[in-house]
Amino acid sequence: MRYPKALGLAILVLAAPAWGQRAKSAAYDSSQKVKFSGIVTRIDWVNPGAFFFVNVKDSIGTVENWAVEFGNPLDLEKDGWKSTSLHIGDAVNVEGSPARGPARQALATSVILAKTGAKLFVPSNKPVAKLASQPAPRWPNGHVRLGPPPGKKGYWGTPSSTVLVEETGTKIPMNRDGLLANIEDADKVAPFQPWAKAVYEYRQRTLFKDDPYNRCMPPGGVRHFQSPYGFQFVEQPDIDRILILIGGGDRNWRTIYTDGRPVGHKDELVLTYYGTSTGHWDGDTLIVETVGFNEKFWFTNGGLPHTEALHLTERFTRPDLGTLKYQVTVDDPQTYTRPWTGGWTIRWVPDEEIQEYFCEENAESTFVR
Amino acid sequence: MRRRVFHLGCLLACLGLAVSGIAQQGHPLTGTWNGDWGTTPTQRTQLTVVMNWDGKAVNTVINPGPNSAPGMVTVDVVTWMVHIEGDLKDSSGKTVHVVADGKLEDLGNYHRTIEGTWRQGGATGNFKLTRD
Repeated sequence: MRYPKALGLAILVLAAPAWGQRAKSAAYDSSQKVKFSGIVTRIDWVNPGAFFFVNVKDSIGTVENWAVEFGNPLDLEKDGWKSTSLHIGDAVNVEGSPARGPARQALATSVILAKTGAKLFVPSNKPVAKLASQPAPRWPNGHVRLGPPPGKKGYWGTPSSTVLVEETGTKIPMNRDGLLANIEDADKVAPFQPWAKAVYEYRQRTLFKDDPYNRCMPPGGVRHFQSPYGFQFVEQPDIDRILILIGGGDRNWRTIYTDGRPVGHKDELVLTYYGTSTGHWDGDTLIVETVGFNEKFWFTNGGLPHTEALHLTERFTRPDLGTLKYQVTVDDPQTYTRPWTGGWTIRWVPDEEIQEYFCEENAESTFVR
Repeated sequence: MRRRVFHLGCLLACLGLAVSGIAQQGHPLTGTWNGDWGTTPTQRTQLTVVMNWDGKAVNTVINPGPNSAPGMVTVDVVTWMVHIEGDLKDSSGKTVHVVADGKLEDLGNYHRTIEGTWRQGGATGNFKLTRD
């Protein structure tokens, strides 16, 4: 009898990653507000979202335990907060957005310590270091270095955009997850084939509930450049390859071969989340061609579909120390009526390294309730 | 022995959950679909339909194997109604024309379904296909 119980627990624990790093729009209803006070019963300082739990007593004395998500530990620590900034037994006043569905869970917009009135877990809004005036570092052969200058640390952090749309000069209102403010704008996002537009709209209407990224599947395609917690180029000219270490998602890496091999054809390749990438330099721009993607993921935030025919051409340019210009051309004739291009810039985070992040770390403790 | 059973159970649970988490996210019809059709709830005939979107059409094989038949599939992406046609061989080897119309349900689910009406020769029944 012991074993079936253990097996049941194993299933619960394994099922939990399904909630690992849900897009905030899918998990919480920002149009609603919830406000409550209570006593902290537990603190989970884990990725992707730190939680504390509060016993809240209603007017007739019934106690309900609420889960409150209040930020990512890596971001909180950068802002000077620690797991000890709050203690079990503290009384807190919480305001936030409630979870979609029946769960007693909220995303905090304000946490106030009742005893002192101190506001907890507030971002520090530190000024961004001005790096644009410094030139891009270079290798002895003159190529731009995509990583840190010699003897320094750093990584690529905040992208200027976390969505991919066709560059047409038209601003399309949407949130950081790629959720359109107006579904009628779908046609402006990309030149979809009819089936692809219908799938895109379905994903939008269902608030990305089926997004494999929510279940900690790898952020393939361009998505690892949209995900939080950055990425790092590791250039290995002696073996003609560049690695991209991915700080977010499932903490993975991608390889770009620079040995002159042909791009290849998807039918000859093992289809993967990051595909098979070959790169070459055109002046100061690294041009990377990638094919061989599987269909088990969404290649960008927002739910744009793709097929195995997806071919990405990425252009990486570093005009100065602090800026990486990223441009990508999407060519998937089975999904889009023509190739199309989008892009954004990414900011250099000097003197720091990618922090440890695992997308499913708090899944069991928080969501299996 | 008990420990082995436990470990095997855990492994199977892991595999099951892993499969349920890895969905095909491309064209909703692409993949292998299994199910059955019949004129009554008890008289059912097993069906396998393999579909693959090539960018212009859904290439389809009904019941792959020695008695396979090429199919023609179209889908209305507004209603997600799926139309299937093909020429199958019955048990006597005679060719019978099949026309089926069903609705694709739960688009984002790996185990999405198509359910509707199946007309084969002179018989009319219902069918349900589930994506493998």
